[in-house]
Amino acid sequence: MNQVRNIMDRPRLYYNIDGLGEVNIGVMFLGFALLLWLLVHSPANSLWHQVAWLVFLGLALIMHYGTKALKTHVTYPRTGFVEYRRSDRRRTSIIAAVLGALVPLGLLAADRRHWDIPAAASLAGLLFAAAYAYSIARAARWKWVVVGAIALGSLVMTFVPADVLATLASDSLVAHPFRAKFVGVMLLSLATYGPMLLISGGVSFWLYLHHTQAPAEESE
Amino acid sequence: MNQQMQTIAELDRIIHEPGRLMIVALLFAVERSDFLYLQHETGMNKGTLSSHIARLEEAGYVAVTKTYRGKVPQTLLSLTGAGRRAFEQYRRRLKQAL
Repeated sequence: MNQVRNIMDRPRLYYNIDGLGEVNIGVMFLGFALLLWLLVHSPANSLWHQVAWLVFLGLALIMHYGTKALKTHVTYPRTGFVEYRRSDRRRTSIIAAVLGALVPLGLLAADRRHWDIPAAASLAGLLFAAAYAYSIARAARWKWVVVGAIALGSLVMTFVPADVLATLASDSLVAHPFRAKFVGVMLLSLATYGPMLLISGGVSFWLYLHHTQAPAEESE
Repeated sequence: MNQQMQTIAELDRIIHEPGRLMIVALLFAVERSDFLYLQHETGMNKGTLSSHIARLEEAGYVAVTKTYRGKVPQTLLSLTGAGRRAFEQYRRRLKQAL
C-alpha cells in the first residue's frame, strides 16, 4: 500500500526534477534580501524607495515566465509534461502564501514582545529545513546535505549577537517602523538560505541536463 | 471462501496488473500527463506502455488525446471519472485485504 502511495507522490516531486523550483525560491530569497539591503542603505529620498517593490514584482514575473519557458523547452521534451490538478495547485499556492506571511509576521510579533529574535529566526529556519526535506530533499539523497546546511545555518543564527543583527539595518528608514534587529535577522536569513537553494537548484539542473536527453524521434 | 479471500478475488484485475497500477497511480495524482512522462516514470518501453494504455482506454479508465507540441506529436493521458472511482475502490479493497 505504501508503494502505491509512493508512486502517487512522484508527480509532486517531479516538479523539481530539474531543480528549477529551487532556483526560483533561491532567486526570490536573494532578490528580497537585495531589495531590503538597498532599502536599508539608500537615502530616504532616493528613487529606489519608490520603485523597489516594482523591481521585486518584475523579478517575480521574470522568474515565473522564465521557469515556464525553460520547462517548455528543456524539461518537457526530455522527461515529459505534467499538468497538476487545479485543487493541488490552489492548495500549494495557499500554503506558500500562508507560510510566506506567517514567518515574517511571527518574527515581527516576537520582536514586538521583545523575545529573543535570533532564536525565533532559528526556529523558523529549522521549520524551513523540515519543509524542504519533505517537499524536495526526499527526491534525491544528496539533497539531505542541503537540509543539513539549512538546519546548521539556522542554528548558527542563534549565536549571532543581537547587536550585530541590529547594525545590519541600523539608522535606516526601514528600521524605523520595525526594530533594526528584526530587519537584520530577515536580511541575514534570506541571504543565508537564498544562495543555498540557488546552488542546490543549479547543481540539480546541471545533473538533469547531463543525465537526460530528449528522445530522438517524436515523444510517443 | 473467507471474507479476506473474497476481497482479494474482487480486486479490479485491470488495475491490479503492476504496470497498469503504476500508470493509474501516477495519473490519479495529476490532471493529465503525456506519454513521455509515463515512460520516464515507469521505465517501460513504448510498446509495453502503449499496450497497457490501450487496455485501460478500452476499460474506460483512461482518456487519450492526440495533439501537437510545436511540430512534435504529443499524446496526453488523463484518468476518466470511471478510472478515478475504480482506483479509489481498488485502494479501499486492497487496504481491507491487507
